[in-house]
Amino acid sequence: MLVASVLCKELSDAEILQKSLEDLDYFSCIFERYERQLMRYILRLARMPEQEAQDILQDAFIKIWKNLHAMDPRMKISSWIFRIVHNETISWLRKRNAFGRGALLSWEEKYDDMEMPSFAEEERAGLKEQKVMDLLNDLPFAHREILVLRFLEELSYEEISDVLRIPEGTVATRINRAKKGFARLATEQGIQFEL
Amino acid sequence: MERSKQLMAQIRESGVHPHPKWRFVLVKMLRTAGFVLCVMSGAAAFSIVLFAVQQTDFDLLGHMGHSRMEAILALLPLLWIVVSVLAVLVAMYGIRYSERGYKFTLARQFGYSAVLSILLGTLGFISGGARVLEHTFDTELSLYESIQEKKVRLWMAPEEGRLAGRIVGVDKEVLNLQDFEGNSWKVHIHGAFVAPIVELEPGEEVKVFGNKSGSAEFLATDIRPWQGFGHPLHHANGR
Repeated sequence: MLVASVLCKELSDAEILQKSLEDLDYFSCIFERYERQLMRYILRLARMPEQEAQDILQDAFIKIWKNLHAMDPRMKISSWIFRIVHNETISWLRKRNAFGRGALLSWEEKYDDMEMPSFAEEERAGLKEQKVMDLLNDLPFAHREILVLRFLEELSYEEISDVLRIPEGTVATRINRAKKGFARLATEQGIQFEL
Repeated sequence: MERSKQLMAQIRESGVHPHPKWRFVLVKMLRTAGFVLCVMSGAAAFSIVLFAVQQTDFDLLGHMGHSRMEAILALLPLLWIVVSVLAVLVAMYGIRYSERGYKFTLARQFGYSAVLSILLGTLGFISGGARVLEHTFDTELSLYESIQEKKVRLWMAPEEGRLAGRIVGVDKEVLNLQDFEGNSWKVHIHGAFVAPIVELEPGEEVKVFGNKSGSAEFLATDIRPWQGFGHPLHHANGR
């Protein structure tokens, strides 16, 4: 029997993982807490059928379960979880040899059942979400992943550093380059930003 | 909720358990040990590089018939420089893939690895450990050419104006010298520069610049101590 969501809400990430070691059912709390965000993240990184994204997420959480004791207490648990999901997605992409090539599903099909993500900066700039996602998908993977993490998932530089395992200075440099790449692509496609 | 049930069912059915903590602790310890080993190797190699530089006769550069680049390459302890660099690179790799090592820039990774090796290597050199280590390589590895052997090889070139050996007798302005291959030479020292530290006494080991004037005669222009300045010990056979 899974743990009631009321109980889950009272517990921190660390408490949930600790309790999971005693009672596996508590592990479902951490899955439910991050499922939506992580599914959204996977689908933003790569266009794929939702079922495949689910498979990636399940595989990632099994990996998280297996490596519970490897968790670095100095890192935020959410960053660690993001890192594992990120790596699983990359592995999937490598296997499918599908970096930035071809759309398996349109964005409408993917987002039908999901709550629309919030785009803090982009909403303020008045960009249409569809155009942003299309532009992101046309970017090189390295640029796409960093923009998704920073502006769509709203992770801090430190968290991105932990997810991608790069220095924070490199995070800043990559974000800068990615933004320039995004702006250049928008100009090439004749897309104007409304500020 | 449905998906979390699926996940729990999958975990239960597959019988997957968290890897034991000791496994991660062991991996961490092995990584640390690997890093320490790299730093120590780099330090050992660097200490021998310092020793080699100390033993090197840079004044040979002006006297060798080869090009300057060839001369420099002949004098440099290339093997130990390569070992030092490799050790630093492997140590950097160890830092990069440690738990928090990704937080460091490439420059910092290099800095930590190199500085540790340089500091420890310098200590090793100052304490005399480099000489002992180098001698151990020389005695244990037949293929290894020691710094001293290299030095003897460079100096045993009378045709090219270089000679070295032990003074066996002094007769006014002629030294009786036995070179490191056991050959006897008469070295004429009239007008030659004699380094202040050289006493020109029997038993002393010296290196001589000059010109070969006969089958066993040499006109000296420059006489210096075998071990270079500041070395009070002169060992037999140039070692």
